Amino acid sequence: MSLKLELDFQYTASIEKVWSALTDPFKLAKWILANDFKAVVGHRFHFQAEPNEWWDGLIEGEVLIVDEPNLLSYTWASAGEQHTVTWTLQVLADGKVNLHLDQTGFSNPQGLEGAKYGWSAWCGQLDKALD
Amino acid sequence: MSENNQLRDVFDAIADPTRRRLIQLLAESDEIPLHELTVQFQMGRTAVSKHLTILKEAGLVIDRKVGRETRFRLNAAPLKEIQDWVAFYSKFWNTNMMRLKQLLEEEEI
Repeated sequence: MSLKLELDFQYTASIEKVWSALTDPFKLAKWILANDFKAVVGHRFHFQAEPNEWWDGLIEGEVLIVDEPNLLSYTWASAGEQHTVTWTLQVLADGKVNLHLDQTGFSNPQGLEGAKYGWSAWCGQLDKALD
Repeated sequence: MSENNQLRDVFDAIADPTRRRLIQLLAESDEIPLHELTVQFQMGRTAVSKHLTILKEAGLVIDRKVGRETRFRLNAAPLKEIQDWVAFYSKFWNTNMMRLKQLLEEEEI
């Protein structure tokens, strides 16, 4: 059991270009979903996926942190759950850009602060209960 | 993603260290009466009861009366939700981040 999802991808592009792909609504529509995103703290936005019988396809969020071109964080609420999505961009030694995704099930970025107090040990023990 | 029929979000329920400790204690045995849970904490019986109510509302705890005491046991099923969303979004973002790679490399974005 894990309380957060982390993914890393490397891109052969400038950090400005990756930032733009993360924040420009027309570009976001090309690789995520149709949206009305704006990289402005407090802006509320929607992503709309194809609805199906078990999901209305609507994702609603609010921009929390904008630190161009290094960090972008927003809430991500859908189907009664609210998550926090954080993107971190970093230029690597070989010139590529590392894009790090961090998504937690907590509705505020402080939710995982208890990590240092043994979240992973706790999750490990609970895995036994889930078997 | 699974249906959310509980009164409370599972994440809210586990955000508190006392409630995580309660879940851990309940995971270690089949069923525990309230007074045995209470002795594990600095706080009083009423405070522990309140935390158990929150866990109950999230569907994580089931209670039953046996004579004059209330016994509690863990219902781990809602924790499955946490596993489910990680699996769902792992697929969602992997697909999308791969698509972004293609778009960037083909200079279409």
